[in-house]
Amino acid sequence: MSDTSASAPRLLDRAEEAAYELRAQEGSIWTGSRLLIGIVAFVFASLAFAYFYLRSSNNSGLWRPHGVTAPTMIGAPIFAIVVASALLNLYGTLRMRKGLSVDWEVSGWTAVGGLLLATGLQIWELTRLPFFPGSSGYSSTFIGWAALNSALLLTSAYWLETLLARAIRMRKAVAEDGGPARSTAPPARLFRASLEGCSQYVLFAAVINLLFWVLFYVVV
Amino acid sequence: MAISTHESVGVGRPGGTPPPGAAVRRRSAWLGQHMGTAALAAVIGYTIGHYVGNSFANGYENVAASGQNDVSNVLALTLAVVGWLLGSGALNYPIAKLVGREPAPETEETGVGRFFRYSLDHKVVAMQYVIAVLLFLFTGGLLAMAVRTELLSPTTHYFGPGTYIALVSEHGTMMMMMATSVITGPIAGWLLPLMIGSRRMAFPRVEAFSLWTFIAGYMVILTALPYGGFPTGWTGYAPLQTQASGGMDSYLVGFIVVGSGMIAAGFNIAVTIINYRAPGMTWSRLPIFVWSLLAVASLLALATPTLATGCLFGILDRTAQTAFFVDEHGGSSFLWENLFWFFGHPEVYIMALPGFGIVGEILPVFTRKPLFGYRVGAAGMLGVALLSFFVWQHHLFQSGINPDMRPLFMLTTELISIPTGFIYLTAMGTLWKSKIRFEVPMLFALALYFNFLLGGISGVYLSDVPVNVTVHGSFFVMAHFHYTIMGGLIFAFFGGLYFWLPKMTGKVMNKKLSLIHFWMMFIFFNATFFPLFIVGLLGQPRRVFEYAQRLQGLNDFSTISAYLLASSFIVFTINFAWSIFIDPKPAPANPWDSLGLEWQVPTPVPYNNFDRIPLILADPYHYGEPVHTPVADLGVPAVALAGAGGGGGGPSGGLGAGAPAVDGEGGASDV
Repeated sequence: MSDTSASAPRLLDRAEEAAYELRAQEGSIWTGSRLLIGIVAFVFASLAFAYFYLRSSNNSGLWRPHGVTAPTMIGAPIFAIVVASALLNLYGTLRMRKGLSVDWEVSGWTAVGGLLLATGLQIWELTRLPFFPGSSGYSSTFIGWAALNSALLLTSAYWLETLLARAIRMRKAVAEDGGPARSTAPPARLFRASLEGCSQYVLFAAVINLLFWVLFYVVV
Repeated sequence: MAISTHESVGVGRPGGTPPPGAAVRRRSAWLGQHMGTAALAAVIGYTIGHYVGNSFANGYENVAASGQNDVSNVLALTLAVVGWLLGSGALNYPIAKLVGREPAPETEETGVGRFFRYSLDHKVVAMQYVIAVLLFLFTGGLLAMAVRTELLSPTTHYFGPGTYIALVSEHGTMMMMMATSVITGPIAGWLLPLMIGSRRMAFPRVEAFSLWTFIAGYMVILTALPYGGFPTGWTGYAPLQTQASGGMDSYLVGFIVVGSGMIAAGFNIAVTIINYRAPGMTWSRLPIFVWSLLAVASLLALATPTLATGCLFGILDRTAQTAFFVDEHGGSSFLWENLFWFFGHPEVYIMALPGFGIVGEILPVFTRKPLFGYRVGAAGMLGVALLSFFVWQHHLFQSGINPDMRPLFMLTTELISIPTGFIYLTAMGTLWKSKIRFEVPMLFALALYFNFLLGGISGVYLSDVPVNVTVHGSFFVMAHFHYTIMGGLIFAFFGGLYFWLPKMTGKVMNKKLSLIHFWMMFIFFNATFFPLFIVGLLGQPRRVFEYAQRLQGLNDFSTISAYLLASSFIVFTINFAWSIFIDPKPAPANPWDSLGLEWQVPTPVPYNNFDRIPLILADPYHYGEPVHTPVADLGVPAVALAGAGGGGGGPSGGLGAGAPAVDGEGGASDV
């Protein structure tokens, strides 16, 4: 947020300018990550709208003929892996706040692996469907879900991976200043801001997976 | 999708550039990636996509039966866009991030070549946007000429009905795509950081990404014509969408591509306004144009994902054989209509609000009065943005909405005229008893209010169910939205260009040619579209190339006016080319005596905009006050100090009004 509350207005000196712009960048990452969640929320809200619209319309009696369901044996592990990855990353982030960056790195890499595995399973599930994509409203929305969820999981994994890779690269540079978890150097501060945003995004992905898992696998 | 961070050096500047005053390394803009490599990579991507699509989908039953391989089309277009972004350099950093690389320090580029490259300088990106937007506008305009030519006679035809509807659809889609970015890209991109006292946009790469996807979208939608066009108009209604030929793939992919750019632009604008305001730039000091951008950014970021998702469903229907929009298989064509208009109506305000923001900046300058009801105007803009999410069903009054729901959406639609009235109130209050300077930007601003009044009032009628039932699908609707979009947005765009081009380019446009452009555009715009209200009321339907013989006179009048309207753009193009490139004349530092912060920096504006982060001391609307608080402390000699006195009044702590200063000769530290 901009600092607009200076009691005695005066120009910032050069050092204050650098600090001011750094705060603006941190704020941008904070705001940007939340806004990104809002944008993606509208994508999935559109899918949810399609789900309920077609379900309530039940055109030609073909919302969900014969109660067909996508393979639960694949869908449940996807959901479980995503939620576990998000919680693991959240745990790592909390450890990072306490200065334990290695803990976060371990949990982070595991979460990236989990998210990639979930993406792979989501795509593989498309080859094991017991229905034709255009056979019903349910089948259509499920294909839409699979496409959007794969993108959501891939972007989550990408963001987390880039942060892990950056943490490795900056480790030496900020080693004497407390490492990525404690350093006051601008790259470390921006890194932590991005990590906070990323953790929120991955958690959001888990919430989305929970909601649509209920819609596609639990609700009959 | 990762949020980008930068290294410590030059924090706060695009790509981590050196701080002001430091030596800047310059390099040739023709080395490395540029528009040529982007185009080459796009062609390669397109070819690969087509080959792969044909390889595995040619055997599909539906492809073999129809001879139309939508999988191949979509893959080709998608890989072309990916190739375009790869070739331009837009994906260099996202790829380098995978191995933890920091962004390379951005180097300032000079020369013409920088306008053909992937740049992180918001001013360069904005100028690239200007050309891209004009390209879009003129291509769409040429298609409009073809449409009007066909309508010269109800019986003699230049095109077949299929070609005619393809031209109409292409024209509408191109213009709508262009209109979403016509102000947020070029004008907002250039001015926003300067207006809020920032050295940069929050995410320069996101801004550049929005431009390059915008250009990619232009090329994708152009491919619809060789694919046979699409018959749906810009609304892409199902089930026609599902049945259409290959051009529909270009429509769906094109809207996703342009939509991605729109989301990126809205995202970046909102984050920049929230986080990069200079000290002292409180919400109540924000220029009214920035308020309009904040409202638009929220619409771009939140409404556009719905369109993109709808287009994805359309693509899945055409390629993966899903049935989102196929009623016979459990889908619903109304699903598309709902998703489309949930975006489509906010889209109207995405186009209208920045126009109102621009004229809100122009009016005080040329009336020498403070902006009347500033807070009411800002509240009006936010009110319009909020309400625009709750009106979309009025587009479905005639196509299947539950009749009991009609009054609700009639009410919400009519409600939106209240905050719109707020915006008009600020304008009328500012104009009241003022001594207007009828400069070219002011003429465009006044024309906007005239045109939009007709468009807006006809919109209120259209929101009433009985009128809607009567004139739905007729030229009356077509005239209505041309009055709001072209009469509002495009007039604002040109008003803004004439107002800010002296700052953006350092050159002044020829006034005589500018006046000819304005009067031709204003007169022939009204002569083209007002008769269409009448032919609509008399029953001429949209998107049909034949009409009743008795309407030929009005149609011919409209068509000839349209030719003259088009020639006004030729006048503009000649003026632009002549004044900016062929015979440039240096512009005064502050030719309109504006108090806006953007006018207080040198021309050309330095790479980092401000040597020192300015301290904002007042809003920029203190016109007509004999003594007023300076707008900002820039910490360096100001280039000019606009007089705030009424009618070009007296000095205000520095150089007086009407005495534009030469760059760097202001002498006052407070502006």
